[in-house]
Amino acid sequence: MNNKTTPAELGTESIGKLLRQYALPAIIAMTASSLYNITDSIFIGHGVGALALSGLAICFPLMNLAAAFGSLVGAGGSTLLSIRLGQQDYETGNVILGNVIGLNLIVGIAFSVITLIFLDPILYFFGASEETLSYARQYMRVLLVGNVFTHMYMGLNNLLRSAGEPKKSMYATIFTVLINAGLNALFVFGFKWGIKGSASATVIAQVVMLVWQFKFFSNPRYFLHIKRSALRLRRKLVVDMLSIGSAPFFMNAAACLIVIVINQALLRTGGDLAVGAYGIVNRIAFLFIMIVMGINQGMQPIAGYNFGARLYPRVTEVLKKSILFATVVMVAGFVFVQLFPHAVVAIFTTDTDLVDLSVIGLRLTFIMYPIVGFQMVTSNFFQSIGMAGKAIFLSLSRQLIILLPCLLILPSFMGVNGVWMSFPISDFCAAVIAGVLLWKQFRQFKVEAGKRNAEMANR
Amino acid sequence: MEHCIINIGRQYGSGGREIGEKIARRLHFAYYDKELISLASKESGLGKEFFEAADEKKTYSLTGGWLGLRNNFISSNFLENYLSNETLFKIQSDIIRELADKQHCVFVGRCADYILRNYPHVLNVFITADLADRKRRILERMDDLTEDKAEDMLEKTDKRRAGYYNYYTGKTWGAAASYHVCINSSVLGIDGTVDYLYNLFEKSGKGEVERQK
Repeated sequence: MNNKTTPAELGTESIGKLLRQYALPAIIAMTASSLYNITDSIFIGHGVGALALSGLAICFPLMNLAAAFGSLVGAGGSTLLSIRLGQQDYETGNVILGNVIGLNLIVGIAFSVITLIFLDPILYFFGASEETLSYARQYMRVLLVGNVFTHMYMGLNNLLRSAGEPKKSMYATIFTVLINAGLNALFVFGFKWGIKGSASATVIAQVVMLVWQFKFFSNPRYFLHIKRSALRLRRKLVVDMLSIGSAPFFMNAAACLIVIVINQALLRTGGDLAVGAYGIVNRIAFLFIMIVMGINQGMQPIAGYNFGARLYPRVTEVLKKSILFATVVMVAGFVFVQLFPHAVVAIFTTDTDLVDLSVIGLRLTFIMYPIVGFQMVTSNFFQSIGMAGKAIFLSLSRQLIILLPCLLILPSFMGVNGVWMSFPISDFCAAVIAGVLLWKQFRQFKVEAGKRNAEMANR
Repeated sequence: MEHCIINIGRQYGSGGREIGEKIARRLHFAYYDKELISLASKESGLGKEFFEAADEKKTYSLTGGWLGLRNNFISSNFLENYLSNETLFKIQSDIIRELADKQHCVFVGRCADYILRNYPHVLNVFITADLADRKRRILERMDDLTEDKAEDMLEKTDKRRAGYYNYYTGKTWGAAASYHVCINSSVLGIDGTVDYLYNLFEKSGKGEVERQK
């Protein structure tokens, strides 16, 4: 573990170099996890069929909700672990490790039991039809049976990062992608197991890496290792974990809510295939969004440190460079999607009706992507400099506050296109709001700097 | 590692700071309270105002903390954010350990008892006082404070300190089991309490190290 809490290079090294150094690993990790999400769609689209893709898209909100419950435990656990390890308090660290496992066991199994009992009504509510229900049900049953492993794997991966092993955590992510892809090919194309095969591949990939994690954390010579006595839940730890985890939980739950509204609107206006088209568009969009999130993660320590150290020209520089990189990525996505939408969609399906729907959806959804990079970086910038309220507001403005009313109103007038158009409208408004907030912030900085200079002169 | 340390936790208005200063002077120990903030600021290069804002506050409460979600909901490692309360706490605790390595010290607040829990010659004290005395003390300190506001302020400050301590240490603020000795300064008065703690420190053998030098 690093001894120095704040590396001095953050205040001196060239911004471009720092940004590369901090952002590249984050971008790789983010891309790996979005590839993991894409894999199933590709194999189901080609190996099972277009309707199966719609069935899969209906499962997204339920998977979001499962992830929300996972982050409820995981985020809190890793924050508490980082605090304890920062004080070399390995004893409590081990208790936290044990409690994360214990709590994940309870939450993971409880979630599965409840959702398995009410699976059909839940899936209908999430946008299933008579035709797509059986696909969604088959996929989700396997995933829910394996849910406790998913939670455990995600939770331990977070702890691995907090324990100062970000590389191991990244390799774990990359291996799940590879195992998942390999098993998908075998189960869906080789054994013809259909959508169930794809779900099994996903679960097995996580189980394999979970076994590896358990082996890693069972080594009694490693400063963190699993002890039976630590599994008993400590009330105070659990309360702390859940309070820290509640914020990411609600963010994830909001994402779940939005996808439900999208699926329902698409089902109403465009039928099952429109829902499947969203599944494709969502996966492609996610790939670019995640790269920008990687840039954001790299920017955070640099902007935060320099802002704290009052090195304002460097703060401005890292903000500008991050916006530039994010915009380059998003413009590339935009150009690619507008010029070759058929090629992009062909990765997922060959069904001509689905291709046509997805191409329209893709083109409309990406209209404002050239300015989405700016919006996302700005939101993260506020977070980096300690203004979390503004950061959350900006993040919600694009993903909830403006999007939700659009999704509720526009489809009644414009049909399926109303759903697709909700995204660029929301993106545009959110980017304008972000621009205004950023402009105001910099004006305030200037006023403060002027005041400080005046004070210095008066002394 | 061979230095003597006295850590003082205290209720707001209990006279803990005064007691800490007096005992430090008597033992010729270095005394650290708010100075830790400037030291942490100088050492890390980060502005003092960030440490002041995070001083003896925990991160999550419904208003300040819930919206104060510091991390991406994807990444959850606060060390990626240099202005999070947890990072600032880590910087401050590094400083406390550095100071304890250099000389004999008295630390007031800031979870120093937990941070220095593995140091051999440490005495951990918690100081309370009767409500009337605490109220009188903070009314003297602040001119524009009214009587009924004082009580409110005592309660709020202690609640904040308790939240901070319990969050970062996993122990319970003000509970006897968290310290070596808990004492109500109203019983012996400030100077009487200083005498008492001085004697305790000498008798406990923790003071022997000092004489060896």
